[in-house]
Amino acid sequence: MSDYFAGIDIGSTMTKVVIMNDGIISSIIGPTGPEQRRLANNVMDSALRQIDLPFDVITYLVATGYGRINVPFADKHVTEISCHAKGVAHLFPRCRTIIDIGGQDSKGITIDDGRPTDFVMNDKCAAGTGRFLEVIADALGIALENLDKTALGSKQPASISSICTVFAKQEVVARLAEGVPLNDLVAGILESLASRISRMVKRLKVANEVVITGGGAKNAGLVKALSDKLGYATLVPPEPLITGAVGAALLGKDIVQKATKNGLPLERKRRLLEEIEIL
Amino acid sequence: MAEEGKRQERKKRRTATEAASSIGAMVKAAIGGTVKAKEEGKKLAYSFIVCSYDEIIRAMDVVPVWTENYAGVCGAKRDAERFLERAESQNFSRSLCTYALCGLGFDQWREELGEMPPDSPWGGQARPDFMLSSGQILCDPRNKWYQAAQQYMPDVPIYDVGLPYPLYEDDIEVADVQDYYIKYIVAELRGLVKFLEEQTGKKMDYDRLSELVDLSERTWNLIWETYELRRAVPTPMGTGDAMNTMVPMVFMMGTQEAYDFYLDLNRELKDKIARKEGVVKDEKYRLLWGGGLPSWFALTDFNYFNSKGAVFPVETTYRMIEPIYRLDIPETNDPIERLAWRWIRYWTYWYDKARKRPGSEPDVERLIQYIEDYQIDGIVMHEAFSCRTFHLGLIWQLNQLRKIYKPIPVLILGQDGKKKEEKRELPSLILESDIIDISSYSEVDTRNRIDAFIETLEQAKTAAALYK
Repeated sequence: MSDYFAGIDIGSTMTKVVIMNDGIISSIIGPTGPEQRRLANNVMDSALRQIDLPFDVITYLVATGYGRINVPFADKHVTEISCHAKGVAHLFPRCRTIIDIGGQDSKGITIDDGRPTDFVMNDKCAAGTGRFLEVIADALGIALENLDKTALGSKQPASISSICTVFAKQEVVARLAEGVPLNDLVAGILESLASRISRMVKRLKVANEVVITGGGAKNAGLVKALSDKLGYATLVPPEPLITGAVGAALLGKDIVQKATKNGLPLERKRRLLEEIEIL
Repeated sequence: MAEEGKRQERKKRRTATEAASSIGAMVKAAIGGTVKAKEEGKKLAYSFIVCSYDEIIRAMDVVPVWTENYAGVCGAKRDAERFLERAESQNFSRSLCTYALCGLGFDQWREELGEMPPDSPWGGQARPDFMLSSGQILCDPRNKWYQAAQQYMPDVPIYDVGLPYPLYEDDIEVADVQDYYIKYIVAELRGLVKFLEEQTGKKMDYDRLSELVDLSERTWNLIWETYELRRAVPTPMGTGDAMNTMVPMVFMMGTQEAYDFYLDLNRELKDKIARKEGVVKDEKYRLLWGGGLPSWFALTDFNYFNSKGAVFPVETTYRMIEPIYRLDIPETNDPIERLAWRWIRYWTYWYDKARKRPGSEPDVERLIQYIEDYQIDGIVMHEAFSCRTFHLGLIWQLNQLRKIYKPIPVLILGQDGKKKEEKRELPSLILESDIIDISSYSEVDTRNRIDAFIETLEQAKTAAALYK
């Protein structure tokens, strides 16, 4: 019988579940609303339904992300730093730097052989995160996924000087009223965001290969602007949102293999998909 | 008042030593003592810590009111917000030093009421008879805070003590310039004595001053010897406790009580070491608190580190002493000159070492020495947004350290896919918040960073073990 390993990554904006044996056999990406944060069991259940397997076949389950403590049925909780390192190294073995642009935070991680060696986080301000793009896209009435296409053809990206997301939104609206072309405006926004992220990441010893993950990696314009600012070519996984969950599943596999090899007992939770109790 | 409802829930920190747990009562008694001293007609002085005038004011029977301490107490009790808001309403920017803002907000309120603000932490901060500022390069509020406070207390005079020291330049010998500094500082301290004599109507007793300087120096030696006991594995005391045991070091120098406190702490640590009793049962990671004042409202974060098996055997913050013999102070019978020399020699102690290592700095040398002496696995610093002068320098120190000091041998995967040997820097973590402004702090985010850092430490140990 195969071993199955599951990783569940409850981010501030999106929840991701991956089930693996030799490779990924199931994955789910959905929004992290207040209910999903509480009901991680339902998300896990959906991932299991995809492959028509019961929960008790899961050999080991690791939870990660900001909401990891809300997964009472996880065998282990690991931070997203270690999980991204593991997951990205699985996909890009020569990766030395990860930039994760999440919904409400962004991170830089340097890694070696799948292990994090250093990290920086922006968890204090929406500027420099996916939330910044959401707010601006909303102000411009453009669907988030179309934002980078809107920037195509820009020859003179507009300068956005406000650091605060709220004020940047006001600035964008004002520049639009001044007659700044939309593609220049959006290109300027992407440059502004890339500039903030690169400033943070440059606190680390950035080295090739550089991989970008998270929702921000889906924006080709942002990825290009970030590559330019950093002075490095960047790589993007086929599905950049699930690298943390993949890493979580792989870390679970490592834990099981290490315990088996050393004849150590494996601490696992009861295989019961229960919701967390929040007072 | 609406402001009274703004105090936030506070969790008590677990201490490892009895000495640390006794500090709260000691500080409370000291603050209450200033209020009582005022009622008894004694002279009170607003004072800054680390200003080399402790023995002078003690010898003149002046009662110090440590304004930074009181702001810290308000922060630790999670009751600073109403004073910060008072200061903001007086048009002081929230990005100024929040110790100063808390103190100014308190002073404004006390002066407006003519009595202590309602439910003031530990009875409140007594009104001073005079204020002793101190420009000592490091910190601009030390000059400006009391000037700003004077608008609420225009009748209270200020004496500003200049206490400079030669900044580090790798091509300038301190010996070439130190006499100018000594001459200046001696003049400043003599001016302080004259000011205090005028304010108190008493003459300085120089024999008594000499005795107090000698007592302080014996206390410096005792603190150094006591803190060095923390090199033991497992360490018997961490930085969380040191943020308490610093109280006699910075607020009670020149008193027998301070000396006796460290004598007790010394005995307690030796007992713990004999019993192999550490801060945590299973000590996994030894960390250096490499600088930054702590978030006084979040000292329980040290307990959180402990819960992960991480301890802090040493810190640079509030370790404001060196053993006196190291400082090589010239012989003098003048206690004022002695204070000036001690000041200069303390601040320039690490300069010679820094010159010997290209790219180094005195503060970086101190970090390296502690890393080696205390078998350190990682460094944690706190970047407090409102304390600009101190904390800007920290980031620089950490960057320089990482460039010149890579003690961990590892095998890394090269771009050619082959493993090669490399030396790696110690893992480090920068926490971001403030000293007392709780609005800058998120427990969830802070602990998420700590979790990630602990995992990085574990990975570094694994990588180092693989090399072996």
